[in-house]
Amino acid sequence: MADRDEIFEAYADWRERCNENQRLRRMLRGWNRIVHLVATDTGDRFTVAIHDQTLAELADVAEAEADLIVTATSEDFADLFWGDLNPSEKYMSGEITLAGAQEDVMRLDAMSMVAFLDQ
Amino acid sequence: MLRASATGHPPIAQYERIPWVTGADDGTRWRLKDRACEALIIGAGYAGLSAARELADAGVDVMVVEARDRVGGRVWTTTTPTGAVIDHGGQWIGPGQDLFQKLADECGASTFPTFTTGEGVEWRAGNRATYAGLIPTSDPGAAADGIEAIFELDLASGQVPLDAPWDAPEARALDEQTLGSWLSASVGSAGARDIVTAAVKSIFGTEPGELSLLFTLFYLRSGGGLMNLARTTNGAQERRFAGGAQQCARYLAEELGHRVLLSSPVTAVAYDDDGVVATVAAHRPEGDPEPITIRARRLIVAMPPALSVRLQWTPPLPGRRDQLCMRAPMGSMTKIHAVYERPFWREDGLNGQVVSDEGAVRVTFDDSPADASHGVLLGFVAGDECRALDGCTPAERGAAAVSDFTRYFGPQAAHPVEVVEQHWPAEPYTRGGPVAVFSPGLLTGFGPALRDPIGPVHWAGTETATQWCGYIDGALSSGVRAAGEVLAALGR
Repeated sequence: MADRDEIFEAYADWRERCNENQRLRRMLRGWNRIVHLVATDTGDRFTVAIHDQTLAELADVAEAEADLIVTATSEDFADLFWGDLNPSEKYMSGEITLAGAQEDVMRLDAMSMVAFLDQ
Repeated sequence: MLRASATGHPPIAQYERIPWVTGADDGTRWRLKDRACEALIIGAGYAGLSAARELADAGVDVMVVEARDRVGGRVWTTTTPTGAVIDHGGQWIGPGQDLFQKLADECGASTFPTFTTGEGVEWRAGNRATYAGLIPTSDPGAAADGIEAIFELDLASGQVPLDAPWDAPEARALDEQTLGSWLSASVGSAGARDIVTAAVKSIFGTEPGELSLLFTLFYLRSGGGLMNLARTTNGAQERRFAGGAQQCARYLAEELGHRVLLSSPVTAVAYDDDGVVATVAAHRPEGDPEPITIRARRLIVAMPPALSVRLQWTPPLPGRRDQLCMRAPMGSMTKIHAVYERPFWREDGLNGQVVSDEGAVRVTFDDSPADASHGVLLGFVAGDECRALDGCTPAERGAAAVSDFTRYFGPQAAHPVEVVEQHWPAEPYTRGGPVAVFSPGLLTGFGPALRDPIGPVHWAGTETATQWCGYIDGALSSGVRAAGEVLAALGR
C-alpha cells in the first residue's frame, strides 16, 4: 500500500520525465483533459489536468467532472509513476482500468506505454 | 415469430410439407421444384442470416441459399477427434460489439476470457525474448516508436467518416497511399515498422503495401482503433465462445428452418426492375445437384465483393460495381491449430502470444478451452507467408507451424496430439480471409457502389459495414441495414 504522500512524490517524478519527453509532448497535442485517479485499496482520489501538452501537478479531486477515470491499487499507482510498472501489462490483466470515451482511453493507454518505454 | 407473408405466397413453413424432391420417379431421375419468394438472400453467413431474421420477423417470405453444407460463412467451428473445439475462422468477441453480444446472450452462448496471464514471446532477428504487455519490448525505443505510429494512425482514423470514407479530408491523397508507403515515409525505426506490420497482417491477412491508407484508417476507426483491434483484454480479442463462434449462426439458421437451403450454390442471377431469377445448383438427397430457379422481388447478396462477381449476372452489373469488386481481393490467411495434452507453455509463465519476424507463423494465441483440459496453440499464417505455403499439402503447412511453435515454446511443442489447419484461399466459397482488402483508389473511385442497390439487388456482408467492418458484428449490422432497404422497397 502506498500512502498519499508517496503517490504525490512518485507522480512529481513521473510528471517531470513526461513533460521533458518530446515524443509525449507530440502525442499530447490538442488534447486537454481532466483525469481522475482512484486508488481502490485506500480510497484516495486524485486529479491530473492535461493542458497545452503539459501534465499539471497532482491535486486532490475537485468537483469538476473527469474525462477519464483510472482505477488501480495505490501501490500500482506509485510503481507506475516511479517507472517500475508496465502499465500495458496491468491494463491487459484488468488490474488497471480506464473509463472514458474510446479515443481518450486510447490516448492515455498509448501515452502511458510510451512514458514507461521511453524512460 | 414466423408469419405468413402478405403477398399471397404461402409461408415458407408450409414448404416443409411439400417434398423438396418431387415428380414421378421414372427410375432414372427426379425433378426438382422451382421456387418463388419475396426476398432471396445469397449467403448464410452472419450477414445473410441477420438479414433473413429481420425480414422473417417483418413477415416477409424470405429464403436463404448457401453454397456450403453449413451456415456461418467465414465463421466455422468443428470438434476434433480428441474433442478440441476449433474455430477455423472468426472466433472472438470484444467490447463494443453490441449486436453480436446481444445475439450471443439471446442464444445462451457462453464466453470466457482469452488467456493472457504471463508473458509473450518475441522472436526478432534470430533471438528469442519474453515481454509483458501489449507490445514486444526488447528494443524499448522501437516499441515506443511503434506505439507512436499506432497512435498516429488511430488519431488520423478519427477524421474518416464511417458512412462515407471518400468524404474524409484529403481522401484522395490518403487513398493514393498504402499503409506500407506511409510506414516507410513516417516511421523511422525498422523495429517499429515490424511491430505495426505484425499487427496489421493478422488483422487483414495481407501485406501493408497492399492496403489503401484511406481504407486502413476507415477500418481501424470502424473497430475502435488499431490499439483496440490489437488488444486481447479490453480489445477485439477479449473473449472466446465455449462452444465456438459459429453456434450463434446455427441458432439463427434453426430459427429460420426450411428457409435456409444448404449445399445449393447460386450460379447465375437475372434481374430487372420487377425482381430477380436466381439459378441455383440445388442440393438433392441423392445424385448430382440439379439447377432450379428461385424467383424473388428483392435479392440480398451477402457475399464478399470479389465472390459476388463470380456469379453470372444478366444484364451485366454496372461497371462501377464490377470494378469495385475487382479492387477488393480477399486477404491471404491460414489458421493452424496444434492441440496438446495440456497448455504446457503456461507452466513456463507464457501467455501463448508470439510476435515474430521469421517463419510461417508469426502471431500466435493460446486457444485452449476455458477449463484448460487440453492445450491449443493457434498460429496465424498471413500475407506473404500464406502465399508461400499455398502449394503445400495441409500436412506440410501443419509441420511448418509446429516447427515454429517449437522455436517459440520449446521442445514440448514438437509433439502435438493433432494439428488442424484451414487454408482460407483454397476454400471455394471464400477464397481467402479474414476480410476483403481494399486497394488504393477503390474508396475514392467507387466507394458508394459498395452499398448502393442496383435495381432489386442489395448488398450485405461485413465489408459493407460502417461499424466493425471485417468483424462478425459488422456482418450482423450489414444484414440489418440491407433488410431495412428491402423492407422499404417492399413497402413494409
